Amino acid sequence: MSISELYYNVDNGYLEGLVRGFKGGILRQTDYLNLIQCETLEDLKLHLQSTDYGTFLANEPSPLTVSVIDDKLKEKLVVEFQHVRNHAYEPLSTFLDFITYSYMIDNIILLITGTLHQRAISELIPKCHPLGSFEQMEAVNIAATPAELYNAILVDTPLAPFFQDCISEQDLDEMNIEIIRNTLYKAYLEGFYKFCQEMGGATADVMCPILAFEADRRAIIITINSFGTELTKDDRAKLYPRCGKLFPDGLAALARADDYDQVRAVSDYYAEYRLLFEGAGNNPGDKTLEDRFFEHEVELNVYAFMQQFHFGIFYAWVKLKEQECRNIVWIAECIAQGQRGKIDSYIQILE
Amino acid sequence: MGSLFRSEEMTLAQLFLQSEAAYACVSELGELGMVQFRDLNPDVNAFQRKFVNEVRRCDEMERKLRFLEKEIKKAEIPIPDTEDNPPAPPPREMIDLEATFEKLETEMKQVIINQETLKKNYLELTELKHVLVQTRQFFEEVQFQSYPLQLASEIAAEEGHHIQADSIGLSLTAGVVLKQRFAAFERMLWRACHGKVFLRHSEIDSPLEDPVTGYEVQKCVFVVFYQGEQLKSRVKRICEGFHANIYPCPENQAESQEMILGVMTRLEDLQNVLGQTQEHRYRALALAAKNIKVWFIKVCKIKAIYHTLNLFDLDVTRNCLIAECWCPVGDLNRIQQALTIGTERSESTVPSILHVVESNLEHPTYNRTNKFTTAFQSIVNAYGVSDYREVNPAPYTIITFPFLFSVMFGDGGDGIIMALFAIWMCVFEKKLASSAKNNEMWGTVYAGRYMILLMGLFSVYSGFIYNDFYSKSINIFGSSFSTNGTTNETIRKNLFVTLDPNTTQYLGSPYPLGIDPIWRQSTNELTYTNSFKMKLSVIFGVIHMLFGVSLSLLNHTYFKKRLNILCDFVPQVLFLVGMFGYLVFMIFYKWLAFGPHNSDVAPSLLITLINMFLLKPPPQLLYDAQRAVQYVLVIIVVLCVPWMLAVKPIVLYIQNMKKQVRKPKYANLVNETEQESEPVEPEPDQKEKFDFSDVFIRQAIHTIEFCLGCISNTASYLRLWALSLAHAELSLVLWEMVLRIGLSMEGYVGAIVLWGVFAFWVVLTIAILLIMEGLSAFLHGLRLHWVEFNNKFYVGDGHIFAPFSFEVILDDKED
Repeated sequence: MSISELYYNVDNGYLEGLVRGFKGGILRQTDYLNLIQCETLEDLKLHLQSTDYGTFLANEPSPLTVSVIDDKLKEKLVVEFQHVRNHAYEPLSTFLDFITYSYMIDNIILLITGTLHQRAISELIPKCHPLGSFEQMEAVNIAATPAELYNAILVDTPLAPFFQDCISEQDLDEMNIEIIRNTLYKAYLEGFYKFCQEMGGATADVMCPILAFEADRRAIIITINSFGTELTKDDRAKLYPRCGKLFPDGLAALARADDYDQVRAVSDYYAEYRLLFEGAGNNPGDKTLEDRFFEHEVELNVYAFMQQFHFGIFYAWVKLKEQECRNIVWIAECIAQGQRGKIDSYIQILE
Repeated sequence: MGSLFRSEEMTLAQLFLQSEAAYACVSELGELGMVQFRDLNPDVNAFQRKFVNEVRRCDEMERKLRFLEKEIKKAEIPIPDTEDNPPAPPPREMIDLEATFEKLETEMKQVIINQETLKKNYLELTELKHVLVQTRQFFEEVQFQSYPLQLASEIAAEEGHHIQADSIGLSLTAGVVLKQRFAAFERMLWRACHGKVFLRHSEIDSPLEDPVTGYEVQKCVFVVFYQGEQLKSRVKRICEGFHANIYPCPENQAESQEMILGVMTRLEDLQNVLGQTQEHRYRALALAAKNIKVWFIKVCKIKAIYHTLNLFDLDVTRNCLIAECWCPVGDLNRIQQALTIGTERSESTVPSILHVVESNLEHPTYNRTNKFTTAFQSIVNAYGVSDYREVNPAPYTIITFPFLFSVMFGDGGDGIIMALFAIWMCVFEKKLASSAKNNEMWGTVYAGRYMILLMGLFSVYSGFIYNDFYSKSINIFGSSFSTNGTTNETIRKNLFVTLDPNTTQYLGSPYPLGIDPIWRQSTNELTYTNSFKMKLSVIFGVIHMLFGVSLSLLNHTYFKKRLNILCDFVPQVLFLVGMFGYLVFMIFYKWLAFGPHNSDVAPSLLITLINMFLLKPPPQLLYDAQRAVQYVLVIIVVLCVPWMLAVKPIVLYIQNMKKQVRKPKYANLVNETEQESEPVEPEPDQKEKFDFSDVFIRQAIHTIEFCLGCISNTASYLRLWALSLAHAELSLVLWEMVLRIGLSMEGYVGAIVLWGVFAFWVVLTIAILLIMEGLSAFLHGLRLHWVEFNNKFYVGDGHIFAPFSFEVILDDKED
């Protein structure tokens, strides 16, 4: 046991206890079985009242809408997260900040894409994830090129180090934005991975597999999505995060892939990914590849709670909660739009 | 009062309520608070129940009320605390209530929106005023710096400035931004415009009110100078991004003066209008504040009723609701009465029927308490709620708990303070009740006021027995020792002596009550009191435990378990009496048989007891037949162990074998068919399969626990001695080290010092002796009751009766 583990409970014991408590409040399979029987959103609200969410919708006037539920779910998560973040010491505080960076990246890309389509910033801001909001965010629209984006806005944010690969004088068009997003993400994942590795101990043991899977998932999704676009294979290869299990051989193979089957062939060399591809399909009744990835992610995150003295549970808690929000919103959407046939496709988190 | 010894007799009853009368009946039952409803449809989801819509409407009403309450609190209008408790309104009134709340809410919302817009206008105008004032200052400064020569003529300077600004095509944007965002704003301007803008700012001194949240915020006025259209749009966008409000800013001073005047008049107008809206809002809210408590209670009751109705089974064909509930047998009449009233009130023609049903479900435990017994009952319940109709230790606790506490606390002076404090709480209990609700710590003390009273009074009694008041003794009857002739003189002068009862010092007749005060002065005081208190602890302990064991006899006879009496109770008593009862006997015998003249030949009791179990002959005999008696006792005690261990399982086994032989082979078949035809009753699975090893292991654990427990529990009672010793020594230390210093000084200085020292002594006495020592004695008393006493007879596996009662629901809600 290293020194940091000896002092773990002194610095982070309270927060860990808190997060384990939050994890106890995650909806279980029986809750979902009740939720999918709901006829209206009011039913949904009534059932959520009997769970850990309690009265979080009690002050919302009827009729409820899905977006209100979504906002409130996010708000609850953010309030809890901010509480944890405000009580965190180094290095946990940095670790928690790393979690928010991914939301910041998403927000920036959302805003830039929005302004590119001539949407007003005030209209876009409510769509941003509140975990990733930062001071300079709303001024994003003054930037016309990546260099300007960096020099004027991002240089003051913690995202600056990740952005260094993206600085070029090209205009911001849709293709470039996607490239920026993926490059940012790549730098972010690699940075996070390195940070966790330097932390060592149980944190590295738990976080590295989760981040490695995240990296590989991005590589595979990028490859699949790039078929039929102008993206060249060389450019594509530059977007792969290099901290997953696929690095280096798998990524090299992915870089050469031309269609879905070839991607699948690459995954055959990796036991757990092969399993994911085997269960996926586009036929009705099959689960999509994305859902399979989500399920695997949830599984990894649930495993994080098996160990103690590490920061992985904080990451896992945020990700599980996020998945839960997606699930509830999905169920709510299905109810609201009368698409009850698809209501089962939520991702189960705990038994 | 029979119910204090055992829990109340309960019965399961079925209620058949006409659907139109159900609401009124449940409402009456809620006021009565004597029935606990069972959920008859546990498989049905919360949102699939029958009255879910009504519950939802109540939720909605509560939301509106909460909204109103929030607004009332924001406007700082006091909500009158009315004591009246309106009955649940009939269902049709619900619509009226809904309409009232709806109207109030929309009205309030309208007012709020109006006020917000007004406030927003007001804020904008104030900001504009600040911008105008501040920018003028900027310009004046600029003039001072760049045109010192032209200062003489103001007009000229102004024109010069104007020309200057025009000639190089400078334009400016002025506005207001939040103070905490200013730094980032400035940096962003610099970065995004490559340093080609000139920025001036100054803080607004007075905080402004945010129109939406109502919080006060600090803001900054800024002016940006720049050149060219491109920069202009960029600056505009950055302003937008940082939520900076931009205001038009005249560059001409006269114009700006004019604008300031205009803004001022408009501000005044707005202020008037704002005041009026504020007043209107205040009036509306004040009106609502009067009723809001009553409304909350009404809605809460309606909601509780519908929640309860959701537990009922609906019988469609007969148009009535069926409920099942637990109720105390003694209260059936009152329940029946409540039902009749409910039926009459709803003008239903068919009466509601209460039908008592037999049930082998586990009955809930209900102990009726009053304000005196509640505290003691809750001590017992904290350990475990008693089984249905099991012997309830609470009535015995009422006496034994304060008594054992006082044996440990053992200081008459501190006891008086404690008793006075408790009397104060009891006398003013009505006044104090409301303050106790809001403070958890104080509430706990308040709830135990009668217990504290008894604890204090018993401590005074113990204080007399120990003759210990703030570590001093009281010499009431005159000491029975004479040291150098004048004992009472010795006590007064606080001299130290060594007492030897074997000499002529002893006058022959003992001190009438408690310990002789002369011992306080004696150097061998501790040797004397230790031996006394130690023996006392063992005697109390053994009697307490024996009492616990005999209570188990009451349980066995009540539940008609003869086997338990023969195989548990009898050997337990023999074991305890044979071992520690004999010890107690020896203690008394030694006290009586040995006087001061022959005390040096008295045998040690501890050694005697150990030798007795090692079957060694005692070195000194207490009495003649001692060896024979001890052999017999040891044999009985040893025999008790296998008796407890094996007899009961074997008897049960034999009984079971006989039953199986008697039962014909096809009995099982019959049973099965019966069960299939009657699935309504919860499975009568009382007769579980007999498992010999299981029974035996349980009995073995029981036996081991009891035998080892007897020894360790007796030792555990020695805490009575230990704590009283600790208390006595602490209070002695306080006296010797603190108060005596003050008392030993003379003259005026001494008086002043004594005044200070006494205050210090009082604080320490209350903090350490009363509160700390009191808490510790309390905890040890709890342990003696929970562990040493209760495990002799108490199962404590029941569940508590939780009746449906508006009072409880409303109390919970307030918390």
